Amino acid sequence: MELFLEQLINGCAIGSLYAMFGLGFGIVFATLGILNAAHGSYASWAAIAALAAVEQLKLPFIVALPIGVVAGGMLAVLVDQIAFQPLRRRGSEMLGALITSIAFWIILDNLAGTATGQQSLSFPRGSYPGTMFRLGDIPLPAMQVITIAAMLIVTVSLHLLIRHSRFGAAMRAVGWNQTAAALGGVNPRHVVIITAFIAGATSGLAGVLGGITTQNVSFLLGEGLLLKGFAAVVVGGYDDVRGTAIAGVGLGILEVMTSQYLSSGLRDGITYALLLSFLLLRPRGLFGSAGFSRA
Amino acid sequence: MKNWSRQIGIRTLATLIALALQAGPAGAQGLAPGEYKVGFITENTGAIASAGQSYWNGAQLAADEVKAQKFLGGASIVLDSKESGSDAARAIQAANQFVADRSVLAVSCCILSAVAGSLKPIVVEAKTPLVIFGATASGLPQPPWVYSMTILPGPKDTATAVKVIDAVKPKTAAYILAADNDAFKGRMNATRTALEAKGVTTAGVVNVLTKDTDFTAAATQAMGLKPDVILVYATQGAAAGAITALKDRGYAKTIVGNDVLSPAPIFKKMGTSVVGVPFPVSFSDAIVETPEAKAFVAAYQAKFSAPPDIYSAQGYQVVWFIAQGLKSISGQPTRESLATALSKISKIDHQVYGGEVMKDGQAETTGTLVVMWNAEGKIVPWTAPK
Amino acid sequence: MQALGDFWRAYQSTVAFAIVNAFFALSTYAVLSAGILSFATVTYAAMGGFVGARLVLQSGLDPMLLLPAAAGAGALLAYIVALIFLRLESHWMALASLALILITRVVVINVPSVTGGVNGLSLPVKLPLFVLAILLAVAIAVFYRLSVSWFGIASRAVREDPAVASSIGIAPRRIQTIAFVISGAVGGLGGMLLALVLQFLSPDTYFVNIAFTMIAAVVLGGSYHWIGAIIGAAVFTALPVIAQAIVPHFQEVANGIVLLLIMIFLPRGLIDPRAIRLRRAAHGASADAARGAARIVEGKP
Repeated sequence: MELFLEQLINGCAIGSLYAMFGLGFGIVFATLGILNAAHGSYASWAAIAALAAVEQLKLPFIVALPIGVVAGGMLAVLVDQIAFQPLRRRGSEMLGALITSIAFWIILDNLAGTATGQQSLSFPRGSYPGTMFRLGDIPLPAMQVITIAAMLIVTVSLHLLIRHSRFGAAMRAVGWNQTAAALGGVNPRHVVIITAFIAGATSGLAGVLGGITTQNVSFLLGEGLLLKGFAAVVVGGYDDVRGTAIAGVGLGILEVMTSQYLSSGLRDGITYALLLSFLLLRPRGLFGSAGFSRA
Repeated sequence: MKNWSRQIGIRTLATLIALALQAGPAGAQGLAPGEYKVGFITENTGAIASAGQSYWNGAQLAADEVKAQKFLGGASIVLDSKESGSDAARAIQAANQFVADRSVLAVSCCILSAVAGSLKPIVVEAKTPLVIFGATASGLPQPPWVYSMTILPGPKDTATAVKVIDAVKPKTAAYILAADNDAFKGRMNATRTALEAKGVTTAGVVNVLTKDTDFTAAATQAMGLKPDVILVYATQGAAAGAITALKDRGYAKTIVGNDVLSPAPIFKKMGTSVVGVPFPVSFSDAIVETPEAKAFVAAYQAKFSAPPDIYSAQGYQVVWFIAQGLKSISGQPTRESLATALSKISKIDHQVYGGEVMKDGQAETTGTLVVMWNAEGKIVPWTAPK
Repeated sequence: MQALGDFWRAYQSTVAFAIVNAFFALSTYAVLSAGILSFATVTYAAMGGFVGARLVLQSGLDPMLLLPAAAGAGALLAYIVALIFLRLESHWMALASLALILITRVVVINVPSVTGGVNGLSLPVKLPLFVLAILLAVAIAVFYRLSVSWFGIASRAVREDPAVASSIGIAPRRIQTIAFVISGAVGGLGGMLLALVLQFLSPDTYFVNIAFTMIAAVVLGGSYHWIGAIIGAAVFTALPVIAQAIVPHFQEVANGIVLLLIMIFLPRGLIDPRAIRLRRAAHGASADAARGAARIVEGKP
């Protein structure tokens, strides 16, 4: 029983990382209509920035974390303006945006590899909260608590922003039709930039926390999160943040439980099979709204 | 066509000069002076680039030394590098480019055994010697064309595990295995058989994947088996992650590592979590006894501002192995004569291990050093905790 | 002469890889020309590659005899995929095909009896380069005939607007299924050719790197004409080799930058039939205008 609870908490923690990453990825997909292959590199670079802040500038965790988050957001804006804005102006279809995002993925990942000296770096022990709480007999590292808490805060904030604020309405309007939104008094350019920043920042947060907890700051960090975040978005429904969050955490728990009670060879297979089943049977995900396209 | 006749002209001139030089000092039957190219397929980018860089650095240092020490008289080895990024297609293209270049006498490659396997047919067909610097699969060498300077880690693992359990006397053992790496699977099974024969029950095997980044679940799983000792058989990233996760969750009993823990950046990365974990090492810059080894460490540190590791040593030995082969040739070396010379080598003259031999094209060292990192970041011989 | 021979020896594997990539690009183009973005070529290639390699190893037959088997295996798989996936909307289809690639790798690792599992499969059999070239020529002939046939016109209609196409009597689902089967056959064949060129298969051989090369090749070369796929594949295979020669320290970044520049400045690819038609029309119009002006000057009616 104890083992089950321990693994459940592990699953929640790792699922929270997937969820946070998926939120950023999903916002870009839902609002800007772009399948961004470079999104993982925002997470990698956020982790690199935070690590640099800790090692070079000797800043404490509480300062390094926002630095990483902001770095992720700004990188997202940069990529959006260089890569996707020209395509938007031209009215290109999804294929063009996908290829451009692949180009940026190659560039950013390789630069990240150079930045870490082709190694997988770690945050020095002691630069982040390391207390071990205890839930009865079960060890509960502080970082796990922080990760889960961060996921909850981010999910709730994003949900309130998107569904219950004027800016959220503007985001959804731009996602639906930029020209119509402009006619309705929204500045699409601003909305796009801010949306890109939020998406990058959220994934950046996942990157920094992930980099700390998995002791792996390298371009591989982003790539791993990208796949799982993408699955969370599909299973949860890409236009509902609550769905993505639940799906992300669920995926994390499913992974851990499969490894523990079935076999870890099946672990990734089950995730992908789930992904495929949802795509085939219920593409809008558990909580997404059914879209429709005009003839 | 102008190029063609110019090429012929240059070659004739070169041959005449070489002949003249040879006919000079009476009876000088040595290697003809000149620069002999070795094609080096580097892996300085990609997921295992830190190891790849070490191999390349070691090789470069050896080439410099061969030249400076005039080991080959007036001749020297020149390394031509082509990057493969650990990708088989790029490595194949690089190998083809090297064998097409007639001035390349030998090729060196590969960390991944799969890529080495792909290159074997190319070099065998082109009759060019290939010296492998890092692939750990056994059975790759194929004299006279394919050799391996990798010190195979398998046998050392079992010896280390036996030494540890003799000291610690555990009742149950659990294993953490990189399930998608067949080499590690084989190593784990060999150790498991040996330990079971000594009466240590296997509590279970926890599978991880080499590309995994999060090991809390695997660590929890392993600890849930309540073993007295946990043995880790995984590649560097996974092993480091698993061991750190175990320590983070409070596992206080013995953990046995493997040779991937030896390079210096591992201590920087893992910090206190790797202290006291025993692992085998064939070469370590901290435990050097012979003068060649000490000189190697000093020279490497001076040239690259970093200490050498086992990968650097293997890369270094590749070039010294080729140099040893070249030295025994008189006149102008060809790919065939180099291959024949290499196949005749049974004992490596210049090596940093305290003893290295070639058996059927595979380099081997004797003895197993079981070491650990201490709290100050130095590698010291392993001692069982009191 | 020797220099030429050496040059050829050095770069013949690049040419071989370019031909194999051309097959993958054509396979992607086949479904793209019917309006579907699908990465499933990688799965067809894995099917063709592993099935073909296994058959060669078990039966010892000449690989040329077994090439149709690889193509057939790919086509069959593509038919099944079409049955399941064609119900999806376009962007879900793309995502589903990505998920399919991921699942393919997991399957490959877990069926060692066919695929050699994690260890991979060694295939010490070679196919001469001229055979590859002949096969490519055959593929070109097939695609050319298709593009000028009824099927070609129908797929262009379906790509433009499936609703309109069905209203004039073309069944989009049928056209797209045929496109899938063609894509599967070409992809399966390409997979086996890759196996014969590499002479070694591992779970990572048929994975995301091929997916990107083929999609980039199609987009770069021009996704509106089959010749674009071939040219794009050639450029994309040569690019890393050239980059390595010019900027060895930044070659990967250079690849990404070139791709980016192409997307910004040549979004419809190098071979764009529409641009060619427009240019020809403008040329024709200005030639007509010039002729007309000349006649006025000469005083002719």
